[in-house]
Amino acid sequence: MTSLIGSMISSLGVALKYRSLIGTANQASKVVALFSPEWTTVRFRYHADKVAKGPVQRRYGYEEKLFRGGLLPRTAYPDKPLPMPVYRPKNSWNEKRALFGQNDYIDILGPSNEISKKTLHPAQLLYNVPSWLRGVKGNEYQILLRKRKFLQQKNFPLSSPTKWATLNVRIKKLYKYLNTKTKSPFWKHA
Amino acid sequence: MAVKIINKTVTDFSLRVTRCFFVPTKTIHSNVALFQDNLDTSLTSIEVNRSPLPIISSRKLAFPPKFKVPRQVWVSNMDTVEEEKLGLIDLHPEVFADRPRMDIIHENVRWQQLYRHVSYAHTKMRYEVRGGGRKPRPQKGSGRSRHGSIRSPIWVGGGIVHGPRSPTSYFYMLGFNARLNGLRSTLSAKLAQDDLQVVDSLDIPTDDPKYLETLIEERGWGPSVLFVDDNDIMPLNITAASDGFGHFNLMPVYGLNVYSMLKHSTLVLTLAAVERIEERILFHLNRNDAAQAASKYRLDNF
Repeated sequence: MTSLIGSMISSLGVALKYRSLIGTANQASKVVALFSPEWTTVRFRYHADKVAKGPVQRRYGYEEKLFRGGLLPRTAYPDKPLPMPVYRPKNSWNEKRALFGQNDYIDILGPSNEISKKTLHPAQLLYNVPSWLRGVKGNEYQILLRKRKFLQQKNFPLSSPTKWATLNVRIKKLYKYLNTKTKSPFWKHA
Repeated sequence: MAVKIINKTVTDFSLRVTRCFFVPTKTIHSNVALFQDNLDTSLTSIEVNRSPLPIISSRKLAFPPKFKVPRQVWVSNMDTVEEEKLGLIDLHPEVFADRPRMDIIHENVRWQQLYRHVSYAHTKMRYEVRGGGRKPRPQKGSGRSRHGSIRSPIWVGGGIVHGPRSPTSYFYMLGFNARLNGLRSTLSAKLAQDDLQVVDSLDIPTDDPKYLETLIEERGWGPSVLFVDDNDIMPLNITAASDGFGHFNLMPVYGLNVYSMLKHSTLVLTLAAVERIEERILFHLNRNDAAQAASKYRLDNF
C-alpha cells in the first residue's frame, strides 16, 4: 500500500517537474495535498502496562532465585502483617486539643480584681501538674526539696512511708554529691 | 460600648459616608433557595425586625492613633444564614494592624506548649534497682571478667547513669511584653489574612447544628471556627448547635490565646469582644506602671 502511494507520489513529482513549467507552484502543492493525506501516528505506551505485563520472558523454565518484590519491608511469611503498630490517627479536635492553651493570657485579657487590682496568673491555672510543681523550674535537687517541703505538711510520710524514705535518701545523696563533687557556681570562673 | 447608632450629627456622618457607600440600603431577609433543601423550612422563614441598614457606622477609638490609619471591618449578623452587613467599624491599628512578627508568634506558641509540660520519664540509679548486693562470681579463677554487682550500669537490667529523673519541669515564663506582642501580632495576622470576622452577637435563631454549619459554609469561614464573646456564659442556641462539632469552639475573651487563634482557621469576634480585647491591650500598652507589670516572674509573686 505504502509502496503504491510512494510510487504515485514519485510519478506525480515527475509529472510536476513538467507541470511546474506550465502551471504555478501553488497549483502543484494543491495536487500534492490531494494525493497525500495527513497521517498522525498515535502511540500509547504506558509504563503501567509494561509493569503489568511482567518481565520479559527469558530462559524459559529457569526458576528465578533472586527476590524481585521491591524494596518495601516484608516478613518471611506473606500472610503475616509487619511487626509495626497500626496507624491510628488521633482526634486533633477532641475537647482537650481543641481548647489547648485556653486562659494562657488571662493576666493580659482577664478582668482585674476590683480591690487588689490583680489578675489571675496563668501559672496558677496549671491544673494538669501537681500543686507543688505549679510554676516551678529547677534541677532535680531543687524540685525534690520543694516536693518534700510540701508533702511533709500532708499525710504523705504516714500514708506512703517507703516513698517518703526513698525521697529522703535521694535528697541526702544529691546533697552530698552537689556539695562534695561539684564546683559551686561562684567558683566557676576562679 | 462605644458603638453608635446612625442618628448622629451630620458632620460626623459626612466624614464617614465615603467609607460606607457600599452598604446596602435595604434589608434582604429571604434566604437563598440553595440551602432550602438542607434546612428545615421553619429556619428559612425567620423574620428579623431590624432598622434600615447601616446600623453601625462608627466606633470611637480609645488612645486615637497619631500616625497609623485605623483598619476597617464589616460587622455582619448571625441571625440569618445569608450574610448581612450591619455596618463598618474602625479597629485600633496598635492592636489589629501591628506588624505580624513570625518570630514573636512562634515564641508564644512554643511557650504555651512548654510551660505546662512536665516529663514523667524516670530511670533508676544503680542503688535504686532491686538486688545486686552480692558479688556475682569470685574475683579470680572463673576466667571471666571481674564484677561486684549485677546492677552495675554496664549490666543489662542494671542502673542507668544520667537518665531522666521524674518529674522534669519545662516551665518557664515568657515575658509579659512578649506575650502582649504575641496577641497583637496574631490578631493582626488574622485580620490581614481575612480570617478575622466581626459579628454583632452570637445569637442564632435555632439550636440546629445544620444552621450553624450552613451559615459557616455560606460565608466561606472555617473549616474550623473560634467564636469569641466577652461574656463567658454563651447563648444557649450557639452552644447547643456547636456542641457536636469539635472544630467549632466558643471561648470567652479572657480565654483567648495565640495557640487557639492559630489552630482555628477563622476567628469570629463579637462587637463586645472587640471592645474588650482592644480595651485590655491598649490599657497594657499605655499603663503608667508598665515596668512593674512586666517585671520578672517570681514564684512567690502570687
